[in-house]
Amino acid sequence: MTVKIYSRLQLAAGQLESALGLFMSGRDRYSVITLAGAADVILSQLLLREGKSNFTDHMLAAAQAKGEEFDATRQSHGKQINDLLLINAFKHLDDGGETFVDIDDLEEAALAAVLKALPNYIQLEGHDKVLVTAFRIWSAKNLDPTRYNVHASADWTPTNTFIRDPV
Amino acid sequence: MRVEKFDIAKAQLETAVWIFLNGHDRSSVCTLAGAASGILDNLVKRTGKESFVDYGRRINQAMTGHTPKRQSYVHHIEKQVGITPNKHLAIDEEDIIEIDLETSARDALIRTMADYIVLAGKDEHFVKAFFQYCWNNMDNSVIMEQYALVPAKMRPKQ
Repeated sequence: MTVKIYSRLQLAAGQLESALGLFMSGRDRYSVITLAGAADVILSQLLLREGKSNFTDHMLAAAQAKGEEFDATRQSHGKQINDLLLINAFKHLDDGGETFVDIDDLEEAALAAVLKALPNYIQLEGHDKVLVTAFRIWSAKNLDPTRYNVHASADWTPTNTFIRDPV
Repeated sequence: MRVEKFDIAKAQLETAVWIFLNGHDRSSVCTLAGAASGILDNLVKRTGKESFVDYGRRINQAMTGHTPKRQSYVHHIEKQVGITPNKHLAIDEEDIIEIDLETSARDALIRTMADYIVLAGKDEHFVKAFFQYCWNNMDNSVIMEQYALVPAKMRPKQ
């Protein structure tokens, strides 16, 4: 039982690694989403401190380039994405709130949560870390590159949003 | 697909225990236990029983004469067991943190287990496994001696 010094990047990386490990080994999807979401909060803030845009900024810019989301801020767009990925629903229950969650596609939400956090991590740490390499190998074998951001690029946009291959 | 929040919390708590007992990442344990607790605390409250947070507030009242506001006390507990620094980074916070992650992860699980047990009992394997770990790795005889000295009115409500 010892107090040690950690960087926030270490804490986020540990959680992202857990999320990726759980995801690739087919384990609990709720935990994948929660862990990727927690890591992403820290990674996004660390990027802003370095004067860089995070994945939410890129998503917002892409939406605005298509003529959408002009009134949105980084915070409101980030919350919208987090709600879509069920990140808040899986860690919170308010007085009077529903005691259930309606989920369209849990697998898709878990994958999206990972693919949101990973580009932020790569922007900070590069492509050479083991957890990035492992996921890239997995995704190259299991995901459609026209539909999914398999190389975890910060400015990626899908070329095929209509075909839905099984994960 | 409609899923009960209790089942989501249970899955996250079970995963947190699995990560903890297998010696994996402690930050992940804190975050998952915290997420499960964010659901279980309110579910316990809805049953009319006493949650971990409300027990702590009651003890605070008995010892200091002051009952902390519920939300403030939740934040206090989340800081104490390492949940906050693992899921949040405020604009004015430092990039470096000093923390005992091992103790934080264990205590975050104990806090969440307290609420889980109120709702679902102690019979699940992951619950037994975690408490067996605590029994084997904490100073169990001292803890039980201290517990025996706690007046009945200061114990958790059954």
